[in-house]
Amino acid sequence: MTDLSLVQSFSLIALNAQRSLHLTTEKKVALRCMAAAVILELYLDGGFEASEGKLKLSERASNNLIPSGPTRWAVLVRLISDKLDDAGAKLDEWLKQAARLSNRKLAQLEHAIAESLKEAGCLEEIHHLLSCDLYFESAGVEIKEYRSDMNQYTRITEELRAEILEDGTVTEEAVCMLWLLRESGCMHDLFSRNELERVGARMDELYSESALARSLFPIPIHKRSELIFKQLLHMKKMAVKTQVGRGLNFVFPIIERSQSVFIETEEMFAGPDQRISDVITRLESYGHVVKVIRGGQVPIIKIDNMCYEAHPHAAYTRVPIHGVRLQPKRPAAVV
Amino acid sequence: MSRQRSMDAILASEYVSIGELVRLTGSRYSTLKFYTEEGMLPFEQAEENLTRRYKREETIKRIHKIKELKTAGLSIPQIKDAIGVKQ
Repeated sequence: MTDLSLVQSFSLIALNAQRSLHLTTEKKVALRCMAAAVILELYLDGGFEASEGKLKLSERASNNLIPSGPTRWAVLVRLISDKLDDAGAKLDEWLKQAARLSNRKLAQLEHAIAESLKEAGCLEEIHHLLSCDLYFESAGVEIKEYRSDMNQYTRITEELRAEILEDGTVTEEAVCMLWLLRESGCMHDLFSRNELERVGARMDELYSESALARSLFPIPIHKRSELIFKQLLHMKKMAVKTQVGRGLNFVFPIIERSQSVFIETEEMFAGPDQRISDVITRLESYGHVVKVIRGGQVPIIKIDNMCYEAHPHAAYTRVPIHGVRLQPKRPAAVV
Repeated sequence: MSRQRSMDAILASEYVSIGELVRLTGSRYSTLKFYTEEGMLPFEQAEENLTRRYKREETIKRIHKIKELKTAGLSIPQIKDAIGVKQ
């Protein structure tokens, strides 16, 4: 069991299943919050000196004496500090400045944090299933995604859920996590609709009881357009999981490519055995763990713990290309 | 409001919260809450609305025992019988 810092804990949640090689809108939202988490961690570790309501990097932090301080994410903290007034700035200004970093700086931060998580054995980069798709594979487009260690992920998220949903004291880390989840639009990933009501009530309680919550909760760092876009993408993903959406996505895979992956077979009119063998070869060449659960005309294949149905299909270009279309099995079978 | 305890501090303490139990055992919060409500995990609570405190070693052993029995295919009422919890 590794003790992870606030930045690492939040990043483990925020980076899970995000594309690692591309800066998607969803990832940008997560990275802005990860940058803010760096400031919050420094704040909790006493890395700031307060005078007249303004925060300034303490001497200890400047001299790299704090474990989570500038030593770790030195470049970022220095950068933000340089952009702010010499006399210091309020907490909201620090956080907003962190969230306003350029894409290049955000990518550097992502790299630094992802590396620290990889070193701790909590994060890995794997090939996205979409990399195996005919169009992506033949165009040489590589798509990778982050995968958090599920054991560590469960411990972090469940501990937070326990702290918030149970009666009793809430730690400062949990207050920061709640705010970060709210700003990154990840609340729905951790709490059910019913639980969200309890979370709302708990946040109100915390606002009246805790000085940290009072100073943190009113600060918005999200960009509304990005969050709306993120929600739209989420809705689209949910829509293609319905029966109708699934059928539509089969015919028009452009709606949600990741849920309808086409893998071609070597020969036309290949039999079921040949089809499945070609699919397995392609998937395994990209490092996926594949297991055939059920054979037949429409086999069920377990790829990295997710069950997919492999429908025989053809892509029509100048000449028809025969192959199979992989669609997640609904409801996801526990096999 | 306090800071989160480090793993060393948790392992050195006699009592832990449900959140810390989650962290120690890797079980889901909802699972431990269910076990608590079924009386399978004894706890102490100074007053209502205060944190439930569990004896660390005893409770972890109990959770592992429940997991073992579940893996062996026992139902919840059977597990309760096996660990001596009154129905």
